[in-house]
Order: sequence, then C-alpha cells, then structure tokens
Amino acid sequence: LRFTMNIVVEFFVVSFKVMWSFVLAGAKWLIKPEEKSVEGQVCVITGGGSGLGRLFAAEFARRRATLVLWDVNRRANEETAELVRDIYREMVPPKGFRNSVGELQLFQPQVYTYVCDVSKRESVYSTAEKVRREVGNVTFLINNAGVVSGHHLLECPDELIEKTMMVNCHAHFWTTKAFLPKMLELNQGHIVTVASSLGLFSTAGVEDYCASKFGAIGFHESLSHELKAASKDGIKMTLVCPFLVDTGMFKGCKIRKEMAPFFPPLKAEYCVERAMRAILTDQPMVCTPRTMYVVTFMKTVLPFDAIVCMYRFLGADKCMYPFLAQRKESTNNNGMKPGM
Amino acid sequence: MMDTKLLGCVVLFPIQILFCILKATVRLLVPLKRKDLVADVVLITGGGRGIGRHLAKEFAKQGARKVILWGRTEKCLRETCEEIAMTGTECHYFVCDVGNREEVYQQAKVVREKVGDVTILVNNAAVVHGKTLMKSDDDALLKTQHINTLGQFWTMKAFLPRMLELCHGHVVCINSILSLSSIPGAIDYCTSKASAYAFMESLTLGLLDCPGVDCTTVLPFHTDTEMFQGMRVR
Repeated sequence: LRFTMNIVVEFFVVSFKVMWSFVLAGAKWLIKPEEKSVEGQVCVITGGGSGLGRLFAAEFARRRATLVLWDVNRRANEETAELVRDIYREMVPPKGFRNSVGELQLFQPQVYTYVCDVSKRESVYSTAEKVRREVGNVTFLINNAGVVSGHHLLECPDELIEKTMMVNCHAHFWTTKAFLPKMLELNQGHIVTVASSLGLFSTAGVEDYCASKFGAIGFHESLSHELKAASKDGIKMTLVCPFLVDTGMFKGCKIRKEMAPFFPPLKAEYCVERAMRAILTDQPMVCTPRTMYVVTFMKTVLPFDAIVCMYRFLGADKCMYPFLAQRKESTNNNGMKPGM
Repeated sequence: MMDTKLLGCVVLFPIQILFCILKATVRLLVPLKRKDLVADVVLITGGGRGIGRHLAKEFAKQGARKVILWGRTEKCLRETCEEIAMTGTECHYFVCDVGNREEVYQQAKVVREKVGDVTILVNNAAVVHGKTLMKSDDDALLKTQHINTLGQFWTMKAFLPRMLELCHGHVVCINSILSLSSIPGAIDYCTSKASAYAFMESLTLGLLDCPGVDCTTVLPFHTDTEMFQGMRVR
C-alpha cells in the first residue's frame, strides 16, 4: 500500500509541476523577462559569412560580445567581420569595469575569423583548439551553418546528400564536442541550434534537408535531456526554427498563392530579432512565425490523411518543387551554395 | 476578396479534416482487408536478428513469394534464412553493410540479377552506440548515422526507381519512438532516427502522386530484442 501511495503522491506532484510550468509560460508572455547580458562573452557562430549567421553576428556585436566567426567562405566571413568592426566602432565608449585589484579596465570587444568546413571533423577540432588558445573560453555556440542540395532524392548525387547531412547535422556533433567540455566544467554556456520549421514538419522534394534538420533537432533535444540528467543547469539550450527566410537559400519556394499573405517569407532581421530575444531570456525554443506552433501541434494530433489535407490546403506539400526546378535551370555548375 | 474556388476550399477544409479523423477512427475499430503478398519480393535490411528476423518470418508466414535478407553477420543471416526456407518460402541472404554506399548499390544489382525486382523494401537495419555525447567515440557516432539514416537513402535510391517504373511497391521504415521523443544516453540513435523519420515523411509526401507505391513508418517503443537490452523504465 505504501508503494501505491508513493506513486499517487508523486503523480500529484508531477501534475502540479506541469500545470505550474504552463502558468510560468503564460506569465512570461505578459511580463517579458529581462534579457541577460552577453558583454565580454565569447560567441562562436558557424556559417557566419552570410544569411542568418551574419545577422546574428551583428546582433551579438551590438550587445558587445566577442565574436568568433566560422565559415567555409573566407571572403564572406571577412565581410561580416568588417560589419561587426563597424558596429563596435559606432558603439558608445564602454563604461569600464573594475578587475580583481580594483583597476578600471576598458573592455573593447573584438571579432576573430576562421575558415573552417564544419563538415570535416578534424577541421572543427583544430579550429576549436585555435579559438581556445587565441580567444578564450566559449560561452555561446550558435550552430547555424546550413546547406541544401536542391535536388529530388532520385536525381541527387550521393555526395550532395552526404554533404547536406554532414554540414546540417553531423557538424553539430563536432562543434558541441569541441566546446561542451569547458562549458560543463564552468557550468556556464549556451548552445543554440538554428534548425528550421522543416525540422518540425516535412515537405516533398527536400528529403536530405528535412532529414538533416530533424536530425539536428533530435540531437538538440537529446543533448538537453543529457544536460538535465547531469544537473548542469548553467548550460542553456535554445532551438530556433524559422519558417522560410528571405535569404535566398530557398529562392523560388512557393506556397499556395492565396495563403501567401498569411505565410510570407520571413524578413531575416525579424527572425533574428525574435531568436535573440529567445536566446537572451533562456527560452528553450522559438518558432518564427508563431503560426508554426499551430502547424506543429496539428501534426501531432491529426491522422496522417488529415495532415496531408492540411498541407495541400496550404500548398505546402509541393512548395519546394518550384525551388528545385529553379535550381535545375540555373547555369551555376556548382549545384550547392555553402552557408546561405 | 477571395474568388469562389478559394471560398469553396476554405469551407471544405474543416469538413475534409473531420472526415479524415472519422476515417482514421473507423480504421482503428474495424479490421482492414490485408493486401495479398503472393507476388511480392520482400527485402529486409538487418534481417538476421531482432525485429528484422521476426519480420522476415512473418512475411513468409503471410505468403510473400520471396524473402531476401541483408545484414552484416553471416551466421545470423544464414540461420534465419534456413528457418524461413523450412517453412516453404524461398529465402536468400546477402551480406551487406547498408552504411557502405558502394556495397549497397553492388548488392542491389546482385539481388536484381539473382532474385528479381524487390517490391517491398523494409529499412530495418539499425545500430546504437548508447553513450552520452562526451563519452561517445566519434567514429561510432558517424557509423550510427551512416547505417541508420544514410543507409536508408542508399537502399531507397537502389530500389525505388524500379518500384516507380512498375507502379507497384511498398517502402517500410522501422523507426523508433525515440525519433520524436529523445532520451539521454542515446544521442546518436535519437539523432539518426529523427533524420530517418523526416526522410520517410518527405518521401511519403512526394510519393502521394504515385498511387502504386505505398509508404509505412513504424515507431515501436522499447522492444525486447538484444539492441536495447538492459534499458529500464521506472
């Protein structure tokens, strides 16, 4: 009987905790929590050369973080670095902070760039070693680098499929393994996975991309459970799932034209702004736009036929076909754009 | 300003959804007619042990014409094959590591020549490394990804074109509930199963246009096979 009582009591406690978490979540909607400071902290951004990576770099720069940009494209990376340096210069002169012996020190943030192909394990580890030596301990890791092959499965060269998986999914293994040990030691850190709404639901034609993004999300969730199990509550994780962003990565993708006003391609700046809010308030997950939450929820409760109905209604099931057709027609002989 | 066609769609949409829900509920309660397997050639990856082995025996029992087993351990494959052959169904086995792309294509060619066209493909082969991220060996992490996820890409590329040509086929993926709900300590497995799940979903949506080719994804919880032996719920 005591055994049954224990389970029953614990069940009530768990139910209460679940309801309380709903209350807290609701409260966060009404009273916006304060954003944490990232001044002076080191932030690594993969795929920092273009698209969302560049905007993340700008946002972190405005908040006076030290930036470490990784990209496979040297020139794009340097351009982002220049942008960041401009932001640092324009900022108000820093108020100094006193170090351990009370001397006033003026902190001037810096940006470091490294050329690194995150799909190559050795490249990630050696670059991470350099970052540790030259910059210091990393607090923020933004796993943002992403590519898409742009071909239907049966027409896609195998190397491109592997590349998509290696950059979008496997790279997260290596970058996390490179920087997590120090975060675990200090019990301080924040890992951000920039996935996609195509990591919450799929669409036809981009099997490799969907597989890699679902994998990234599976990795993210599994890691957060591991950290919770290890009671490392100083290490936060945030999952960013944007819908179609207008960076040109999925140029040509179209949902049904009548629905288009409700689901326009996101302005990249808006997406990054929402993501920054989530990161700085330790929110575990953010979807932009908010309608994605509805789609995700419907997907978990509706039978498959109904989900197909929903996709067809939105024109989402074939939305990538025009994008794939455009990729095929383009005369670019390198069928894949690295980064975005 | 919406034109009448769109208005019709908007009105019809909740009715369609309701209808789908009703249909699904009926399917739960009323047993459906099972399709006849007498003309089907079934290929099961990872068919030597565990779920694959049981599936192979079940397919043979349900009357499949031929059963082909792929796996890495010849001993297990041979044993399963002999067991099935004794029940009267033609059974073949081939040693093939689905994580190795070239091997998959090569063995697929051998299968086509020696046995015939595969009409039911069961992507069941899977491994798990089962350690926390920091304790995991990098090569083992990659191996899991290659077998559980990429292997399915390669087998699909090997067998799907012919199924599309024949307008007859069925692709089955033995996934796992861990693809949707992760646990600590199996990060490689959860990641790979999530990827495989998305792959199947994307493929299923794409194959809706081909009425002859069906897709099924199976997500079991903890099964009492060797793979997750020792795992305990509370």
